[in-house]
Amino acid sequence: MKRIAVTWLFAALVSAALTMPALADETLVLIVSAESKVEQLDSLEVRKLFLGMTVVHNGDRLRPLLNEAEPRLKDVFLQNVVSMTDMTYDRRILRLALQGGRSLPAVYADKAMLINTIAADPTAVSFAWARDVQHDKRIKILRVLWHD
Amino acid sequence: MPNSFSRLSIAFVLLILFSANRASADHEHASNEFEVFVAGEAYHGSGQVRPGDDDTWFDADVVFGLTQHQFRVFGELYITPNEHDLERLQFGYEFVPETVLWLGRFHQPASAWNTEHHHGRYLQTAITRPFIERWEDEEGLIPQHITGALLESRRPVGADGAVQLSGGAGAGPALYSGEYDPIDLIDHNPGRHRLSVTGRVAYLPEYTGASSFGLLYGHDQISTGSPLVISALNSRHVVLSIYGAYVDWNSEPWRVIGANYYVDVALDQQARDESFISGYVQAERQLPYKLTVFGRIEDSARMQESTYVALFDNHDGDIDVALRRNALGLRWDYVRRQALTIEVSHVVSLKQRSDEIRLQWSAVVP
Repeated sequence: MKRIAVTWLFAALVSAALTMPALADETLVLIVSAESKVEQLDSLEVRKLFLGMTVVHNGDRLRPLLNEAEPRLKDVFLQNVVSMTDMTYDRRILRLALQGGRSLPAVYADKAMLINTIAADPTAVSFAWARDVQHDKRIKILRVLWHD
Repeated sequence: MPNSFSRLSIAFVLLILFSANRASADHEHASNEFEVFVAGEAYHGSGQVRPGDDDTWFDADVVFGLTQHQFRVFGELYITPNEHDLERLQFGYEFVPETVLWLGRFHQPASAWNTEHHHGRYLQTAITRPFIERWEDEEGLIPQHITGALLESRRPVGADGAVQLSGGAGAGPALYSGEYDPIDLIDHNPGRHRLSVTGRVAYLPEYTGASSFGLLYGHDQISTGSPLVISALNSRHVVLSIYGAYVDWNSEPWRVIGANYYVDVALDQQARDESFISGYVQAERQLPYKLTVFGRIEDSARMQESTYVALFDNHDGDIDVALRRNALGLRWDYVRRQALTIEVSHVVSLKQRSDEIRLQWSAVVP
């Protein structure tokens, strides 16, 4: 009886371990190219960057890429990092564009294209689910922005 | 259409297309260097022969911006059935992040409303802009376009805040009968454009936030050769000194924007100097289903006694100068980057009262 209980406990632990990747699916990370000189960006710098302001690191002007491959991904980023709803964010960056020709973040609806662009541009900064980039050697994860 | 305008329009459009194509080649669908703000409006007002100058049935505001390293180019072309003006054309250099020196034609920084919304109607929740913030060709009382140099800077203060400084100097508009005439970048300028100096200092509680409050200052030297103006003012020169304060407070779902201006009008004979006050406050609240309700109160003092203000009331059948206005409206952002807005208002002008209703569709393309 005790052996059966241990077996069930082991099975439950294995099952839990197998579900861990599902939790990792819900981890939002900040990413740059593996070639990028950027080692870290704090929360204020990330907000400035995605609100169209100038952020310079080691002489490079960073370029924000907005990941719209999944609606939930962008919503999580805006709510937890930029602290705005999608509608407010959109109006805000449009206003910045009117206030002085600031370049708005480039928008990507295709995940593979976004990752390829990040990999090729050492000044590009974006965000993605950890599961989509953690095994890609061309991409450097700067930090976790949010997790479930 | 003058040839110079045609050539410049074509060059501008090519520049825009080149920019958009280049952006598309670099990125999947970049919308970052080219935007068009469009709007259509239906209007009815009691006691008026025709809609106001701010009430065209259609307008398009084409905005183009290009950033290359520390250099920036920015343009804004405003098109209505009655006009097509290159409202802004600025060439900038960013010395350090968030400090830019611009050369060209720009919107003077001492306007609380126009530096936020410019000509893009989609971005302002209400359909109308306050009367005191009107553009020159809408019988605006305060010069809004300067051609010269503009310095803008945002510097961090304390743990989270920032101070925003903007100062502009250059040639301001000339005064003709009934309206100001700023320097035209694509047509001839008969002259009489004199010095305009304007500025603002603002505090932002959050560096990246949308809330700010601050002080505004403007000094405009104005000459006129118009016999009508000289006769009315008994003066060939006017010096406007504008002192203002504003607040733009954003805390979702609320937004409050308000400003108050004291305008001193100095004439050749100092004994006849005049002054007036005009201000407004607008409150907005977001509601469920992407609805936003808004209300605005505009008020003034001593405007009805001012000969300077009376110059702008040109008896063309619409309301050019309002002493007071109460407006209430509802905006519905029914899909991404498109909105429907209804606004009702009661206006007290120099000579009459009017009830108005407006319905507007506004959008941004792409």
